[in-house]
Amino acid sequence: MRVKGVIFILVVALLGFGLSFISVEGWIEESIEEQASILNEAKVEIDGFTFDVFGLHVGWSRLQVTNPNNTMMNTFETGETEFDVEFWPLLWRKVIIEDVRLTGFALETERETDGYFEIPVSEETGEPEEPGFIAEVTSEVGNEISKNAQMEFSDVKDDINVDSLMAMVNLQSLDKMDSLKTGLEQNYQNWNNTITNNTVEEDVKNIRTTVEAIDINKLKDPKQAIAALNSLKKVTAQADSIRTFITTTKSTFQTDLANSKESLGSIDTWIQEDIDRAANVAKLPEINAQSIGTALFGGSLLGDFNSYLEYLGMARTYGSKLIGSDDEEEKIERYEGVNYEFTDKYDWPSFWVKNIELSGRTNTDIDLSGQVTDISSDQEKTGKPIIFDLGGEDENAVSLTVDGEINYLGEEPKEQVKVAYQGFSLQSTKISPSELLPYDLTQGTGRLSVDLSVIDKRIESEVEYLAENINFDFESAGSPKNTVESLIRSAISDTDQINATALINNTSGPLNVRVRSNIDDLFLNALKGTVTKEVEEAKRKIQNEVEGRVNDKKAEVETFAREKEAELRSEYDKYEARVNEQLKVVDEKKAELEKKKKELEDAIKNRAQDAIKKIGF
Amino acid sequence: MLLIIKYIAKLLKALSSEASPSQIAGGVILGMIIGLTPIASFHNLIIVVLIIILKVNIGMAILGFFVFSGVAYLADPLFHSIGTSILENQGLQATFTSMYDSEWWAMTRFYNTVVIGSFISAVILSIPMFPVTIFGVNQYRDKVHAKVQKWKIVKALKGSKVYSIYQTVNRVRS
Repeated sequence: MRVKGVIFILVVALLGFGLSFISVEGWIEESIEEQASILNEAKVEIDGFTFDVFGLHVGWSRLQVTNPNNTMMNTFETGETEFDVEFWPLLWRKVIIEDVRLTGFALETERETDGYFEIPVSEETGEPEEPGFIAEVTSEVGNEISKNAQMEFSDVKDDINVDSLMAMVNLQSLDKMDSLKTGLEQNYQNWNNTITNNTVEEDVKNIRTTVEAIDINKLKDPKQAIAALNSLKKVTAQADSIRTFITTTKSTFQTDLANSKESLGSIDTWIQEDIDRAANVAKLPEINAQSIGTALFGGSLLGDFNSYLEYLGMARTYGSKLIGSDDEEEKIERYEGVNYEFTDKYDWPSFWVKNIELSGRTNTDIDLSGQVTDISSDQEKTGKPIIFDLGGEDENAVSLTVDGEINYLGEEPKEQVKVAYQGFSLQSTKISPSELLPYDLTQGTGRLSVDLSVIDKRIESEVEYLAENINFDFESAGSPKNTVESLIRSAISDTDQINATALINNTSGPLNVRVRSNIDDLFLNALKGTVTKEVEEAKRKIQNEVEGRVNDKKAEVETFAREKEAELRSEYDKYEARVNEQLKVVDEKKAELEKKKKELEDAIKNRAQDAIKKIGF
Repeated sequence: MLLIIKYIAKLLKALSSEASPSQIAGGVILGMIIGLTPIASFHNLIIVVLIIILKVNIGMAILGFFVFSGVAYLADPLFHSIGTSILENQGLQATFTSMYDSEWWAMTRFYNTVVIGSFISAVILSIPMFPVTIFGVNQYRDKVHAKVQKWKIVKALKGSKVYSIYQTVNRVRS
């Protein structure tokens, strides 16, 4: 035994422990901040970080995660947090945390400093990210909200100046019709070329010449007839291929012409779109229960929906970033061999927080607490989805519950969230941002519930809003300014409860947004006799003007298409008749030859029978 | 450069008389095990500790490591197939499963075909390697050493300025 060697080993071990104990906290804190900031694309800051090497106990006094879209705000922040990291998985480079005690959780808090973070060049992907599916839906819903915000019900004028309106509206149908005409022209020209510039007629003529060269009367025995039939067989095959070509071409020709005719049908849709656009510019509303419901409550309900959907989008983005890190493989110079997994004991994900006991306060002072379980980089390995269940209430018994599931276990990613916020006071608030309901409430309590489900790219959601025991403050608003307002006031004066529901889904195609409430019909009846008439009159004027401007072009395109199609059809029919006439000669010749062959064979058969009879058999 | 010359001189010195043949053989074998098996394996940490605390020749261990690392680079596919047959041996499945379930054993990565294949090969190879190396060292001392001293390259090395500096440093240190 080398005594110096033993001392050396002991010294190295002690130095290692000592050094790691001294410098490890700062290094880990910096590393976590750096990596998390890269992942978040904005600063992630940890204050009061502690790390106990021997107990693998981690804690911090404050964690701030900057909102990358607004670097002066935090997406969320936490207060005192503590957890233990499991030892063995660390040796497999996996971070597994059993229980996290997280306090002081708060969403959307203000930052004292700018949380901008410059991502190191090597970490950037280089390619701009495409907006995700959820971002697209959020933007579509956002458009719907702004469209509703523009609707004006009580200030409709039927004496619109259509000339100045038209100056603001770009009639797109004119350009679209021009481009349709050009397309049709090219298509017709192509067919014209197909009919006139092909070798079919030439080929058929050659076949006919070959066939006519066969003189049936000169055929004296079946052998000659068979030889003639064989040479005819070759040209018959050519004729058949020409026939197939003609049939296929005819079918394509007819389908193509039918498609062209169908595209002419789009003209009316384009014109209608121009009319609708003009009506929008003139701020003419659709007077029906759906549009009234949307105008009254669409803004707030869809706004809430978008906020929650953005959180889900965030979860999906972070989720995909975490999952991505599992695929990174270390490069090993030597041949690495194959790992035999005798049990699934070490089949951990790279990152797994099993349980978070969370507590915090919302910006409306509700003390929130609950659990978030199984946040992991690979749910297939844990076999568990992320489940969250939070709830709490403030001193006035206003309560909030948020529960849901982020499940990537199946083939399709699935996110579900249910939020219920109830008991909040509506006193001195407006129930709708719409000009139709400009009155404050003197009393009332509200309940908002959101049920949001996203499966892959399919959204099915319901946002429900209920206002109870309400009373409108008509007195402060003064006397009604017009008939519409007066009608609305009398319609809703007896209402003490309003419920509105927004249904957002794309399960059967494009995004469908419907907003309804129990007061839509009251408004509809109030508006029917007054605004509806004015809207209809204004719409009629716009329709007449748009149609007047585009009808000549429509007629021009339709006439062009009709004439060209008739011309082409006639040419094609003639061409087909010519080819068929030539092919008919070939068929006739073939039939004659078959007949001659049979005659010759019969003659030989008869002669042979006569000879046999003569011999006396 | 000085380090390399120092290392070569130490090796030659050890071979000629300084170290016992068993110390040299021990060094070669331990170096061989590290060289043949993937370096970042837990068992290699233990072997490094053994090299430091046991009275084996460290220079020979380093030499063994370099020589057998090259061999391993080529022999890994062979180690993989040896490892595969060991890990797939039906009679050993229960043993491997219980070993795998123990974190300490799992740290050795003996569930990897190349790790276990190369380790078992190295251990088996060390059984004949030990007496063969002792025999080789004895043969070198009896028959080769004197001839090596007469080689021009050795003379040139001994006559070089670097070597004289090395000797001076050695004298001062001793």
